[in-house]
Amino acid sequence: MEHAFVVVTNNPLVGKDLGEMKFVEGSYEDVLIKVRDLVYEGHQLISHPLGASMRMLFSPYRSVLVGAERSETSEVYALTIESSMDTFRRSTANRNVDHVNADDYARIDLELLKEAIKEHGIIQREKIQEVQ
Amino acid sequence: MSYKVLYYVNQFFGQVGGEDKAGMAPVIKDEKVGPALGFDQLMGEDAEVVGTIICGDNFFNENNEEAVKFIIDAVSEKNPDLVVAGPAFNAGRYGMACAGVAKIVADELKIPVITGMYEENPGLETSRAKAIVVETTDSAAGMKKALATMSDLARKMLKGEKLGYPEDEGYFAQGKRLTVFSDKRGSERAVEMLLARFKGEEFKSELPMPVFDRVAPAAAIKDLSKAKIALVTSGGIVPNGNPDRIQSASAQKWGKYNIAGKDSLEGEFYTIHGGYDPVYANELPDRVAPLDMMRKFQKEGLIGEVYEYFYTTTGTGTSVGNSITFGSEIGKELKEAGVDAAILTST
Amino acid sequence: MNLELRKIEIKDVVFGEVPGVKDGVLTVCKQDIIDELMEDVNVKSIKVDIAKPGEKTRIIPVKDVIQPRIKVEGKGNGFPGVTSEMVQLGSGKVNVLDGVAVVTIGDIVGFQEGVIDMWGEGAKWTPFSKTLNIVVDIEPVEGLDPHTHEATVRVAGLKAAEFIGKAGKEAEAGVVDKYEMDDIFTETSKYPDLPKVAYVEMLISQGLLHDGYIYGVNSGKILPTLIHPNEELDGAVISGNCVAACDKITTYQHQNNSAILDLYNRHGKDINFVGVILTPELTTLEGKFRTCDYTAKLCRTLGVDGVVVSEEGYGNPDSDLLMICKRLEDSGIKTVLITDECSGWDGMSQPLADTTPEAVAVISTGNVSHVVELEPADRVIGSAEAIATLAGGWEGCLKEDGSMVCELNAVIGATSEIGYHNLTVELY
Repeated sequence: MEHAFVVVTNNPLVGKDLGEMKFVEGSYEDVLIKVRDLVYEGHQLISHPLGASMRMLFSPYRSVLVGAERSETSEVYALTIESSMDTFRRSTANRNVDHVNADDYARIDLELLKEAIKEHGIIQREKIQEVQ
Repeated sequence: MSYKVLYYVNQFFGQVGGEDKAGMAPVIKDEKVGPALGFDQLMGEDAEVVGTIICGDNFFNENNEEAVKFIIDAVSEKNPDLVVAGPAFNAGRYGMACAGVAKIVADELKIPVITGMYEENPGLETSRAKAIVVETTDSAAGMKKALATMSDLARKMLKGEKLGYPEDEGYFAQGKRLTVFSDKRGSERAVEMLLARFKGEEFKSELPMPVFDRVAPAAAIKDLSKAKIALVTSGGIVPNGNPDRIQSASAQKWGKYNIAGKDSLEGEFYTIHGGYDPVYANELPDRVAPLDMMRKFQKEGLIGEVYEYFYTTTGTGTSVGNSITFGSEIGKELKEAGVDAAILTST
Repeated sequence: MNLELRKIEIKDVVFGEVPGVKDGVLTVCKQDIIDELMEDVNVKSIKVDIAKPGEKTRIIPVKDVIQPRIKVEGKGNGFPGVTSEMVQLGSGKVNVLDGVAVVTIGDIVGFQEGVIDMWGEGAKWTPFSKTLNIVVDIEPVEGLDPHTHEATVRVAGLKAAEFIGKAGKEAEAGVVDKYEMDDIFTETSKYPDLPKVAYVEMLISQGLLHDGYIYGVNSGKILPTLIHPNEELDGAVISGNCVAACDKITTYQHQNNSAILDLYNRHGKDINFVGVILTPELTTLEGKFRTCDYTAKLCRTLGVDGVVVSEEGYGNPDSDLLMICKRLEDSGIKTVLITDECSGWDGMSQPLADTTPEAVAVISTGNVSHVVELEPADRVIGSAEAIATLAGGWEGCLKEDGSMVCELNAVIGATSEIGYHNLTVELY
């Protein structure tokens, strides 16, 4: 089990203190595209690329955890990111990104990201203390 | 009040002629020709066919822009409440033309269209979402029944009535998933579905999973430098003049052409594909079927050899049924010729 | 376990000085409710309103809906582990103010939507337009961190329902629903020939605004767990979920979980209902693999023949749903899924990105992108900003006459994936 992770994000509130980061200048969809590329390059997909509700798809910001190391491309991760991109595009086809509430989305994305890192930390024990 | 209907038929049902007249340019007649007459009678007082457009199947598919313009002009002149096309039964090019009419009239001019086709007609997939497509038999022997169903549905469409379920009314589902109120809440339906499964009774999933035709990939080639590779394309690349008359859309056949000794397809081949801008493919057909690169790899020793025939057909509008047949036939030939692998290019 | 839900039919709700029920009219004392909730130092102000079916009233943004009740016999009034001391739930007698709902509003973040229209077109799409709603608007003190803010609003709602429920203490019950189920071995010896069925209830468990609680324990911190259906009907499971308006499970819907009720209804007749498995929907893929494996293992351990699985939310939980389905079907367990779908405004999109051929029996509770038109309201309870968020979905969704179009995903309970509402999708 590979433990180290990279945060792929376009959320300006995500700081380096959380760990290694690839900052994406762009939209939610651009983050997904970056994650897709990394998955095809052989990175593990640690957190699911999508949130748990329609509303969170209208967020301007998104953070996704991928593994830091590269190995062989995984079919499971590739299918997950591809179907996520498909769902994202279908669900947001007619919708505006909710920029008015951008600050709130950034805050919640950060909270959910911390939760994901903690959840990953159940497997990745040595990292638990770093995130509070 | 009587509604106005404009009718579209091909050269055959328009009583102009057979295959030899398939290239005829569209004409419009004020009288009711062929199925338009029967349809008009079935509609009785409710609607009248105010004109019949007759167009050659090849003309529609090969001179699409001109055909489209003609139909737009005819529709704006006659100002119909509904356009009827076909039924096309299992005639592929006729079906594609009816689908073309559906696209222009229903999608762009926002006038409802009804047509009829056999389930394997290649026109079905591109038209079912836009028009109401009545399910017909595979030949014109089913004309009477097709027209009866089409006129019943046309009457409802003209009066703005909601159509019933596709399976009850005899048309192909359009693929619209409509949110409606059920007389039972979701959890109750779930429990009933589970009980039906226990009892082995039939049940209908409310969200059917899409069915994909998955083909298991062949094992990887161990040594490419010794492999015989074939080139296969659905990009409609054929020798100049298209000697085998492969269709530019809804292909009914495939062709194979000798490329032994050729370094490229340039100059001797061109595309007859009706689904993309041919300029760049005609300039250099290798852009679709890359013989030039294959030869380069051969010279470099990356691959062993290029099989002496290349195989070709047109992908656009070609039915799944035909595609499976073509693939099986081509695959059998390649296998018998000792080909190790094939490169398939699409457009 | 032996639980009695004694339903006191309420036909009207009024404000008054002395709380109680008389001739089907519930009287609530507004100031008492405010005083009770203001005891929390984190609460700055409370407003209480009543919204009745048919009134041109819009409630937005709804955080939770809770049914007011009081336990009149047995232990465990309120919500043990959250608002009251921990006891074992699932037995005793409970007086239920039937037809009344406590609806909490309070925006923790600006993008909450969650609309309930009490009249007209909008009312058709939510089950909570049919209840007499006591709306509690909770404003916390400034400067709270978002987790404390959410907890304050959540607990205030539960307390309000508990407080209001006291009015039913002496009231005469009409219908009394009895829920009695012994341990699995006893039930199986009673019904040896009936197929054994479990209910898997998935809960969004992903962090702030995305949590569920079981006896106060955050469901994100557990492995899938087995509980007796009576425990959930008695208030063991509550919602901490502030997004997914259309398909979140409000506390009211846990208290009246339709999947549990409809399975109970068949218990001893067509099936042997062996229990509820609560399964967290986690964020990480490893977490999802673990919970899905574990859920299927629990089902196999129980030796069930069939399972009903309900989802909560949309997006990443779809993965869990299909993984659980695959694992169960591969074990030979017949599975029915309840989910909603997104097939676009016109219903023409392929509704599922994640697919599994094992999902042969699926209930669809509606298209979350189905567009509905909401007329302008005479009265809005809640926040104008939330309406602006709702009306800002796309260009032109706010019309000149003040009506607006929105997607079903903004409407509370519209496409409930426990099958609480009666929407479905048909193919045309």
